[in-house]
Amino acid sequence: MMTVKLQITILIALAVALAAIINMIRRKSLELKYALSWLFVLAAVAVFAAFPKTMIVMARFLGIDAPVNMIFFLGFCFSLVIIYTLTVSLSRMATKMRKLTQIIALNEDRIKALEQKLEKKSDSEATHEGQGAEEGKKDREKRLEK
Amino acid sequence: MKKIVIIPAYNEISNIDTTVKDILENAPGFDYVIINDCSQDGTMRFCTEQGMNIINLPVNLGIGGAVQTGYLYAWRNGYDVAVQFDGDGQHDAKYLNAMADFLEEQNADMVIGSRFITKEGFQSTGMRRFGIRYFSILIRLMTGQTVLDPTSGMRMVNRSVMKIYSEDYPVDYPEPESVVMILNMGKKVCEVPVIMRKRQGGVSSISPGRSVYYMIKVTLAILMERLRKRRSC
Repeated sequence: MMTVKLQITILIALAVALAAIINMIRRKSLELKYALSWLFVLAAVAVFAAFPKTMIVMARFLGIDAPVNMIFFLGFCFSLVIIYTLTVSLSRMATKMRKLTQIIALNEDRIKALEQKLEKKSDSEATHEGQGAEEGKKDREKRLEK
Repeated sequence: MKKIVIIPAYNEISNIDTTVKDILENAPGFDYVIINDCSQDGTMRFCTEQGMNIINLPVNLGIGGAVQTGYLYAWRNGYDVAVQFDGDGQHDAKYLNAMADFLEEQNADMVIGSRFITKEGFQSTGMRRFGIRYFSILIRLMTGQTVLDPTSGMRMVNRSVMKIYSEDYPVDYPEPESVVMILNMGKKVCEVPVIMRKRQGGVSSISPGRSVYYMIKVTLAILMERLRKRRSC
């Protein structure tokens, strides 16, 4: 069965992994939502490493002769579940990104159009003011002539 | 009636000029918008310099995403009719007004410019024609309606379809799937004969290696559309 040496090695590795995951969550690089499944894996492996008997009991319960086969099988299934959920969230991300890109592109176009409109407006206002000033000048000249 | 031509463009610097000129000269009454799908060859710079109406996607979305942006633009700007038009010189703008008249007369929701009604002009290669026939038959089986040229990229739609497409449009190889989508919603799809040219430059998005993927993906997509319809009934 499992030697004490191996048990200790596994438990130390698990502790390191746990520390790494918690640190990532603390720094907000990893969403707790996605970390939960990994924490669950760590917990399960920790139980098996600390109490190897549970593995044998569980394997017998599932009808698997060698406990090690159960570990491989469950590990494989669990990996597939995680990969599948990743694909699902990737699809969702792609849809969201597409929508965002389109809205950004259209908004940029609108901003450009609005800027041009604004420029034109301020230009025409400037010329209006200029005309007004000139007319004022003429009026004053007329008054002076009188 | 406000009408607009949507031109998706990815690395079309060599063709875009003739395409836009063709539309301005031969399709009076149509506005146009180019959707630049993050081209690498300076299409954006060229079009801006020429003062063309261009929308620039900040990241590459693929043909489906680009065309959808066009529909979104048309919808937001209150156009009554929008038509997809390839930027590579395959399509001829002189048909656009006839298509718009047909759309109105027949009270149709979509009018497809079809190569296979009169069978004139560039008919595509043998393998592709076979593929198109296959999709045509598949669509007839799934929807009971005949669409002779479901892969045609020259398609005119009214405002109701514009809205549907601006919300939901397939990502890649979108033509057959999107036709089935609106057929299942009970929209009226008509075809008018057009003559298409061989592409003037650029490369087709469907290379031989990808055609297997194309056939399988579009077949599944059409079957999926059928499932969606049953669920919503």
